[in-house]
Amino acid sequence: MEVQKEAQRIMTLSVWKMYHSRMQRGGLRLHRSLQLSLVMRSARELYLSAKVEAQEPEVPLPPARSPDPYLHPPREAEAAAEAAPSDGEQPSPEPMDTQEAPRAEETPARCAQRPAKVSRKRRSCSLSDGGDAALVPSKKARLEEEEEEERASSDVLDRLQPPPAQAEGAFPNLARVLQRRFSGLLNCSPAAPPTATPACEAKPACRPPDNMLNVLVRAVVAF
Amino acid sequence: MAGAGGGGCPAGGNDLQWCFSQVKGAVDEDVAEADVISTVEFSHSGDLLATGDKGGRVVIFQREQENKSRPHSRGEYNVYSTFQSHEPEFDYLKSLEIEEKINKIRWLPQQSAAHFLLSTNDKTIKLWKISERDKRAEGYNLKDEDGRLRDPFRITALRVPILKPMDLMVEASPRRIFANAHTYHINSISVNSDHETYLSADDLRINLWHLEITDRSFNIVDIKPANMEELTEVITAAEFHPHQCNVLVYSSSKGTIRLCDMRSSALCDRHSKFFEEPEDPSSRSFFSEIISSVSDVKFSHSGRYMMTRDYLSVKVWDLNMESRPVETHQVHEYLRSKLCSLYENDCIFDKFECCWNGSDSAIMTGSYNNFFRMFDRTTWRDVTLEASRENSKPRASLKPRRVCAGGKRKKDEVSVDSLDFSKKILHTAWHPAENIIAVAATNNLYIFQDKAN
Repeated sequence: MEVQKEAQRIMTLSVWKMYHSRMQRGGLRLHRSLQLSLVMRSARELYLSAKVEAQEPEVPLPPARSPDPYLHPPREAEAAAEAAPSDGEQPSPEPMDTQEAPRAEETPARCAQRPAKVSRKRRSCSLSDGGDAALVPSKKARLEEEEEEERASSDVLDRLQPPPAQAEGAFPNLARVLQRRFSGLLNCSPAAPPTATPACEAKPACRPPDNMLNVLVRAVVAF
Repeated sequence: MAGAGGGGCPAGGNDLQWCFSQVKGAVDEDVAEADVISTVEFSHSGDLLATGDKGGRVVIFQREQENKSRPHSRGEYNVYSTFQSHEPEFDYLKSLEIEEKINKIRWLPQQSAAHFLLSTNDKTIKLWKISERDKRAEGYNLKDEDGRLRDPFRITALRVPILKPMDLMVEASPRRIFANAHTYHINSISVNSDHETYLSADDLRINLWHLEITDRSFNIVDIKPANMEELTEVITAAEFHPHQCNVLVYSSSKGTIRLCDMRSSALCDRHSKFFEEPEDPSSRSFFSEIISSVSDVKFSHSGRYMMTRDYLSVKVWDLNMESRPVETHQVHEYLRSKLCSLYENDCIFDKFECCWNGSDSAIMTGSYNNFFRMFDRTTWRDVTLEASRENSKPRASLKPRRVCAGGKRKKDEVSVDSLDFSKKILHTAWHPAENIIAVAATNNLYIFQDKAN
C-alpha cells in the first residue's frame, strides 16, 4: 500500500508539474516534458502493478483469460482499464486517447458549442465509483452537490483548456503525443479488449485504474 | 604551467591548497533573477573571463598584469566590458516569449588585437567583437568636432585627419546574428578547431554554421522522429573535438553519448561511436531516466577523453572504449535517497556542468549548498570545497567540507538534511593553463587560485 500511495503521489505531482510547465517563461521545454512524462509512466506502471498484486489474492483470475497473467500483471490491469468504458455509461468504439485528444486541442469557441455536460457527467461517474478520487480531491468534494459540481467542472475545464496561443508553438503535437504515450501502453497490452471484457466483469476491482487513467489522461491532454 | 602535473586537490600534504582570490557580484540577500549567472567561460589564453546571466548581459573580466607596487594584485580579474547581449523577444507567430537568458558563451581563438565570442540564448546566437580604442580621429574635412556637417563654402583647404589619444574605451559590437535556425531550445554551441565553423545544438537538432555566414546553416544531426509520439530522447549537449575538425559528440537524455564523424557523411544521423554504460537494474527508480540524463559533455584538452556529467556523478570516457567509462566519480551520492524530494522541489532537473583543468589531470563540477567538487584523476582523491563569503579574506585557504550521509555527524560535517538546495553551483570554469578557477554561485562569481599562484 505504501508503494501504491507513493506512486500515486508522484503521479499527481507530475501532472501538476506538466500543467505548470505551460506557464513557464520561454515556453514548454521539450527535455523537461519528456522527463516528466517518463517519471509519470514509471509511477503509473508501479501503481498499477501494486494494485493488481494487492487484489490478486482476493479475486482469483479466470483460468481461460490469459495464458500467464502473473507474468504481466500491469498489462492485465491496463487491458481491463481499456475495456472498462465499454461496460460503463458510454460504449466507445475507440480507445479513450483518440476520444480525448481532439477535445483538448479545440479552440474555446468550439468548446462552447459542445454540451459541456457530457464530459462532466462522464467525469463525475468515473470518479464517484472509483477509489482514486484522491488524485483530484477538490473535484471529489464537489460531487456532493449537483450545482456545485457543474460550476467546479466548468472551472476545471476553463483551467485545463490550453489557451490557443500556447497549445501550439514549438510543440504542436506534444499534448497528443504525451497523452498517446500513456494510452500507447494500454494499446500494446497483450490481451485484446474482447478477451479482457469478461475479466473485467468478473473482477470489478479493475475499475479503479480506469478512473485514475482518465484523470491522468485529461491532465496530460490539458498540458 | 603552474601546478604542472598537479591541478589536483588539497586533500593531502603535497597537494594544492586552494585559496580565496576574489568574489564578484552583489552581497544582497534577495537576488534579482536577472543577476543569476547562467554561464562562465575563460578565453583561450585565460586572460579574459566571460560570464552571462539570466538578464541577457555578458560581463567580461580581464586579468590584471603583474604590478610591482601591488604584488598581490597579480591574477586579479577586473571588469573589462559589460554589454547587453540578448533582449527578451516575442515570437508572434508562435505566441511565445523568448527569454534573454544567456545559455552559453564560447570564445573564438584570438587572431587579432580584438577578441571575439559567441553568446546564445534559447534561439539566437550572436558573434560579438570586443575591441579597445584609445585614440580618436580629429580634423575631418566635411564635419566639425561635434559631428555636424560643415558649410562647404567655408572649407578653403583640405586637411589630413589625425589620431589623438583618449581614455581607453572597450567596445562590444555585434558582428553577426545567427537566427531562425532552431525550433527548440539551444543548449550548446561549440567552435570548431578549424576556427571557421561552429555548431549549435537544440533538443532535437544540431546545426553547423560558418562564422561569416548568417543566412544559412547545415543541419548535421536530426533526431526528431517522424512521429513525435515515438520521441524517447533529446540532445542535451554537444561539442566539437578540440583537434579533429570532423569529429563531434553529443549526449542524450538517456545517458548515452554519440560520436559523429562528418567525413563519413554530411548528415551525421548515424553515429560512428556510441558510448553507453549498462544500467544497474538494482538502482532503478522512478527517477532513473532523469538522473541518468547527461547534463554536460566536455572533451579533455588532449582530445583523448571526454567527460560527462549526470545528476549524481561525473564520468570520464576514453574515446577508444565505448562500453563503459574509464572513471566514475560520485559527486553527491548521498542525494540518491532524497530523489523524491528533489523531484518535488524541481532540483532534480538542475543541469550541472563540468570542466577539466589545463593538464587534464583533474576535473571539477558543482553541487548544492554552494559546494563544488574536484577529483584528482591520478591520485583518485577528491575534495569538496565551498564558495562562501564567510571565508572570503584574501588568500584565505579553503577548508575541505564533508557531508554526513547518515549515522552520527562528526564535528565540521554538514548533514544532508541541512544542505541548502537553493544555493547551487551549476557553472564552473578552470583557467586553461593555471590553477585558477571561476565558480558561479547564483549571482556571485568566486575566483579561487592555488596558494603558489
